[in-house]
Amino acid sequence: MAMHIGQAPGFSQMLSDGARYYSGLDETVVRSIEAVRELTRIVSTSYGPKGLNKMVVTHLGKMFITNDAATIIKELENEHPAVKLIIMASEMQEREIGDGTNFVLVFAGALLDQAEELLRMGISVPEITDGYELALGKALEFLDEVVCGTVTNVHDREQVQRAIKASITSKQNGTDEFLSKLITDACIALLPEKGKTFSVDNVRVIKIMGSGILASHVMNGMVFKRDIEGDVKKAADAKIAVYSCAVDINQTETKGTVLIKSAEELLQYSNREEDLLEKQIKAIAESGVKVVVSGGKMGDLALHFINKYKLLAVRLMSKFDIRRVANTVGAIVLSTLVPPTADVQGHCDLVYLDEIGDTSVVVFKQEKKEGAISTIVLRGATENSMDDVERAIDDGVNNFKAITKDNRLLPGAGATEVELSRLLTQYADTRPGLEQYAIKKFGAALDTFPKILAENAGVKAVEVLAKLHAAHLEGMKNIGFNIEEDAEAAIDAEKAGILDLYLTKASALRLAVGAAITLLRVNKIVMAKQAGGPKPPKQGAQDEDD
Amino acid sequence: MAAIMSANPRAEIARASEALAINISAAMGVQDYIKSNLGPKGSMKMLVSGAGDIKITKDGNVLMHESQIKHPTASLIARAATAQDDVTGDGTTSIVLLIGELLKQAHVYITEGLHPRLITEGFDVARTKALEILDKISIKSDGNRDVLLEVARTSLRTKVHHKIADILTPIVVDAVLAIRRKDEQIDLHMVEIMEMAHRTDADTTLVRGLVLDHGARHPDMPKRVENAFILTCNVSFEYEKTEVNSGFFYKSPEEREKMVLAERQFILDRVNKVIALKKQVCPPGSGKSFVIINQKGIDPLSLDMFAKEGIMALRRAKRRNMERLTLACGGSAVNSVDELKEDALGFAGSVYEHVLGEDKFTFVEDCKNPQSVTILIRGPNRHTIIQVKEAVHDGLRAVLNVIEDGFVVPGAGAFEFALHEELMRFVTEGNIKGKSRFGVEAYAKAFLIIPKTLAQNAGYDTQDVMVKLQEEYRESKKVVGVDCDTGNVMFPGELGIWDNYRVKKQQINTCSLIATNLLLVDEIMRAGLSSLKAGGGDS
Repeated sequence: MAMHIGQAPGFSQMLSDGARYYSGLDETVVRSIEAVRELTRIVSTSYGPKGLNKMVVTHLGKMFITNDAATIIKELENEHPAVKLIIMASEMQEREIGDGTNFVLVFAGALLDQAEELLRMGISVPEITDGYELALGKALEFLDEVVCGTVTNVHDREQVQRAIKASITSKQNGTDEFLSKLITDACIALLPEKGKTFSVDNVRVIKIMGSGILASHVMNGMVFKRDIEGDVKKAADAKIAVYSCAVDINQTETKGTVLIKSAEELLQYSNREEDLLEKQIKAIAESGVKVVVSGGKMGDLALHFINKYKLLAVRLMSKFDIRRVANTVGAIVLSTLVPPTADVQGHCDLVYLDEIGDTSVVVFKQEKKEGAISTIVLRGATENSMDDVERAIDDGVNNFKAITKDNRLLPGAGATEVELSRLLTQYADTRPGLEQYAIKKFGAALDTFPKILAENAGVKAVEVLAKLHAAHLEGMKNIGFNIEEDAEAAIDAEKAGILDLYLTKASALRLAVGAAITLLRVNKIVMAKQAGGPKPPKQGAQDEDD
Repeated sequence: MAAIMSANPRAEIARASEALAINISAAMGVQDYIKSNLGPKGSMKMLVSGAGDIKITKDGNVLMHESQIKHPTASLIARAATAQDDVTGDGTTSIVLLIGELLKQAHVYITEGLHPRLITEGFDVARTKALEILDKISIKSDGNRDVLLEVARTSLRTKVHHKIADILTPIVVDAVLAIRRKDEQIDLHMVEIMEMAHRTDADTTLVRGLVLDHGARHPDMPKRVENAFILTCNVSFEYEKTEVNSGFFYKSPEEREKMVLAERQFILDRVNKVIALKKQVCPPGSGKSFVIINQKGIDPLSLDMFAKEGIMALRRAKRRNMERLTLACGGSAVNSVDELKEDALGFAGSVYEHVLGEDKFTFVEDCKNPQSVTILIRGPNRHTIIQVKEAVHDGLRAVLNVIEDGFVVPGAGAFEFALHEELMRFVTEGNIKGKSRFGVEAYAKAFLIIPKTLAQNAGYDTQDVMVKLQEEYRESKKVVGVDCDTGNVMFPGELGIWDNYRVKKQQINTCSLIATNLLLVDEIMRAGLSSLKAGGGDS
């Protein structure tokens, strides 16, 4: 510890070199608010169907063109601690729900913006945070009243598509109808029987360059961008054996040495090795299996016999893919090369090598509608556009999962926000203390959303907001902003089928308010000198074969 | 010219009044920094580490250590805070405030010409008296749940938001009560603290069992089992290479095949023994199931075999969890599968896996008589979890302290205020001869910093509150504290605001000691180069 003596008093003199110390409202809260404002300025123009895309180039030269807030902020590599906190809230939303990330960012930003005004009015931080907390509690209560419908049957394509469409619209305006249909088909196909949860992981997306988005399709089964190992390229109505080990000659774990005393033995050794392997593969073939899937190497010799016994052989690199295939075809993964008994064999209607564009793919296709895994084969002109569509699909699938948890729907297009804002303003008037100002500002922060929607669509925001509020005052609580040009600015969101999920909005509100309040409560910041060198590696899975 | 300068011309030195001024200003600087954190209405500080990690806290000990302070006096105070934390787990912010205030009060007398030695003598007298007063004010407690709840709440509310504190209160109390055994010392390590980045901090719960931060190792294993026998073991179910260099020699593929099989046989036998036991204790249709929690590894082939039998198997459990497992579920940890008996098995009502993104958690719940429990901390992000974790830690300590002390002290600044009043009376009654009485006075005044800061942080006028307290105290002769919600006087005993006895005791001892030490320093020396740059040290 380097020490100096005889320095002037004061806390900042006591810190180690390079550390920064901020204290007081101006240096901490106000500055944090400013930093967050910069962030929300970036993402708010990407909010909604008319939101603009951002081009983000990472230090590795990888390029993203997207309006998905989660992706933008992930690539921004922000350093400011206040901004980081807001981003963390947004990331949590991504993890919990998988959609509504931009909502969290924009709302937290708006709340902080409003808080700054309150601070300038002379209202203290505890009063603001208390007010915000009260408002959040109330807003969540009001949210129940705003609910405009439910998805009564998650097997009903029409209902589901209607519920998830708005989320897709905000990411891929134009192809939203088509995409939401794809997603609905993919999700409903693998809806399990009651009591089991829907796993997002079971909707696979495979991106194959070429053609256009509208050429994308859904299929029950899996598609891999791989080649088939052997000569057999197609198998219909096939039984399948899935191995996690290599299809090759068995090796001992301990180092083995072949002890050969004569030339004869040498000749015999190879012969018998071949015989042995042939016997094994023959046994597999005789068990009725037509397709062999392996997670390990397929030796040349093994391949020879596989061809000989007319087996179709696929090698998959990822052990997760192995598990998924096993799931799709209903097989049990074997860890040693033994002939599969009937109960571990899977079945697939069609396994074949296909060429989509110039990419060869192995397709495992099941004819029946319901299955364990469905794949969306995504086509597109460029990697970038496909990446973006994939993200939209991810969000859509997450939305579906959210529906299976909570089927309530809210009117979209800013209608929910305007209604909440109206109710909160009313509620604020009943509060006696200073927190009523904070509650009002909470409402004002909610008004940001229709405003941004209008701004991004190139319409005068103030006019729109006034119109919406007027309509809501008259009790038309589903009135939202219409993004289509040459039409009336106000639209009944429920009738137009612009719907948001209750779960998404409730969680987003909670996270955004939590982050904003945390930031407001900080009154001193100490920042250590930035550590040099590369960042420590992220901790991976603790178990090597996970 | 100090002697050290002739020995080492680059040494730094500060003497007499200068040294004292440095110490006092440093102590006051730290006090000023940490002051705003005291009490339920204290605010938070955000610490950003060199790697950019964020921590938001108001825990005095954490702040003293992670605020990048390098001043020698400050680090001395930080050590006092650590000692306080080690011994009691609470009161770290107060101790920093007290040390700063003691020096500040002493400073007034020193500038008037009083020798520091006399002040420290006064401190000594005051300390002895203070401990007497503490014994008088503290109230005997039998450690029933209500009192424990009150103490835990008091402590937790100073660490986290009161809503979260109210949720954590019953959790920490019940956790300690669950592991409490008659006539045995409580080992807080038997309360496992597990974190999960999930939902909000209000979803933190007490699990009467264990939560392990990994899942079953095989996709075909059951994800949820009821009425499970639990085999806690430390047996390797994977092929391990010999320690000496070894190799196989064979001359035909058939021989090699046999070798492959023989190699596995050893492990196979172990697996089969466990499976045999499973079949014995869980006959088909009995509704019972079997779970293996192994400290060593289980390789994919063995996992396959277990999975086929419907056994849930977890591998590479943490060592400390092995001990907790047997406490929570019963049974005993086995190191060998030879002569495996049913009585070595533990039992849990339900064992299930919870997947959170890529992280898996296994809950072992509904144990018969758990002597080890888990506090599962949930929070939306890292800093919230850390904050709650530190609070839980201190909360557990607070509960433990009450049980061990058998005494509680009125909180909300009531003890400190009473101490001031009593000490002042002690002085005015003429019990102390000589100039050291000023030391006692300084000591008494210094303790007022606690109620003063509480009032200040809650947004009330300090003097106002002090006057109210004084009037009420003198009139009612009751211990009175500051009500942080209204700024008025309240009776902490009636509202159930209690502090730990040992926290106060340790505070009185430590702060007096450090303050005395700092006051008696009359020379600060630092020899050698203060930096590697040439000539850096002689400025």
